[in-house]
Amino acid sequence: MTPPASCDRFESEGLLRLERGEPLDEHFLTCPDCREARAAYARLRQDIAGIGAGDEPPADWEARVWARLAERKGSPRWIWFLAPVGAAALAATLFFALPRTPAEPSLMQDLVEAGPARRATGAHPGERLHLRAETASSPQAELRVYRNGRDLLLRCPGDACCQRKGSELSATVLLSSPGTYQAVLVLDDEPLPPPGKGLDPDAGAAFAQGARVLLGEEITVR
Amino acid sequence: MADTREILLSPPFRPFAVRPRAMMRRTEIAAGEDEILAALERGDRHAALRLLMQDYGTAVYRYCQQMVEDGDLADEAHQMTFVQAYEGLLRFGGRSSLRTWLFGIARHRCLDLLKISRRRQKRFQLMPELPDQPAPAETAEESLAARSRMSALSGCLRELAPRVRTAVLLRFQQGVTYEQMASFEGERPATLQARVARALPVLRRCLERKGVAP
Repeated sequence: MTPPASCDRFESEGLLRLERGEPLDEHFLTCPDCREARAAYARLRQDIAGIGAGDEPPADWEARVWARLAERKGSPRWIWFLAPVGAAALAATLFFALPRTPAEPSLMQDLVEAGPARRATGAHPGERLHLRAETASSPQAELRVYRNGRDLLLRCPGDACCQRKGSELSATVLLSSPGTYQAVLVLDDEPLPPPGKGLDPDAGAAFAQGARVLLGEEITVR
Repeated sequence: MADTREILLSPPFRPFAVRPRAMMRRTEIAAGEDEILAALERGDRHAALRLLMQDYGTAVYRYCQQMVEDGDLADEAHQMTFVQAYEGLLRFGGRSSLRTWLFGIARHRCLDLLKISRRRQKRFQLMPELPDQPAPAETAEESLAARSRMSALSGCLRELAPRVRTAVLLRFQQGVTYEQMASFEGERPATLQARVARALPVLRRCLERKGVAP
């Protein structure tokens, strides 16, 4: 490898001039080393501009943002500002004065193959995803599974494989082909907006209505 | 848990009064931002965030990926940027473009998470992450060289101090002007210009050490 062109003045003075948007003086335009150094820095700038150019965010990232916002709606930020003693007093009051609240909504998922069920985020075609959702007696609750953020594979209740037992919904989905599988639990007091546009827009529509959106771990089938 | 609280309680901007859109300088408003600003004027924060994610989701993701070494933390910074943007949208005063404002939030989130990551690394010796799949075989020699140059550059950028790295990325990867950067960095444009100008020779030397000439 040939040693790179060196032009101390360009590095100490020329680069700053360029960043300031100031013109370069005669020397930088005529000195061969400086011209070469200038070209090298132009390539470096170009490379930095193109860094990560192929990187794309995960398919379901927008749904995750909506789900986080829906979760934060339920936990107001001002609560953090309460003094610890005040918070303890509030907790004690709530514990003794209020009736017991029903179970919190939750979404559990297990992969089922020939052996026992396991928790994992990677699977193979032919395995099954078993889902259990606690709806906390929410008047409107729907458990959904999307493939690749687009195809709606499950609507529960509704689909034949779906079961309801008390406030729990459960279903088993066959992971038939490679791709990413995402389970979502949507809860609201009002009728839910119909899904079908894809994971991100469906989650966004549910959030816009004020629904709670819970996402399971994304499963990648290879 | 404490770390999470730290993130939630450190908004990067003081709330400021909403400035009517007519008072904003036209040059500050990119073409794609008109629709978002119109949604905000209607009070439709949901539509504004949807458009914001659609227009800037990938750019913010690429910035976060370079800023934060840990891929999971970079995802976290990326998502938290938009969560916080949603919460701050109604206070958006139009002193800068939405894009600049958004990158200001992203910068704060990335720096916060870098602090957490560093604390975690002090406590645990983390294993380097292995790629999920082997890289696909390259056929074109040029493409291979470009990949290796980019990979080396990425490594060199991570050797820079976070405040220097963010200035370099915002300037060249995201095309943020020094004036725009100064509005959320809390520093003068001249300071940022000098910081970036000093960083470039450091990057060049680093690439040379790795056998990659820019």
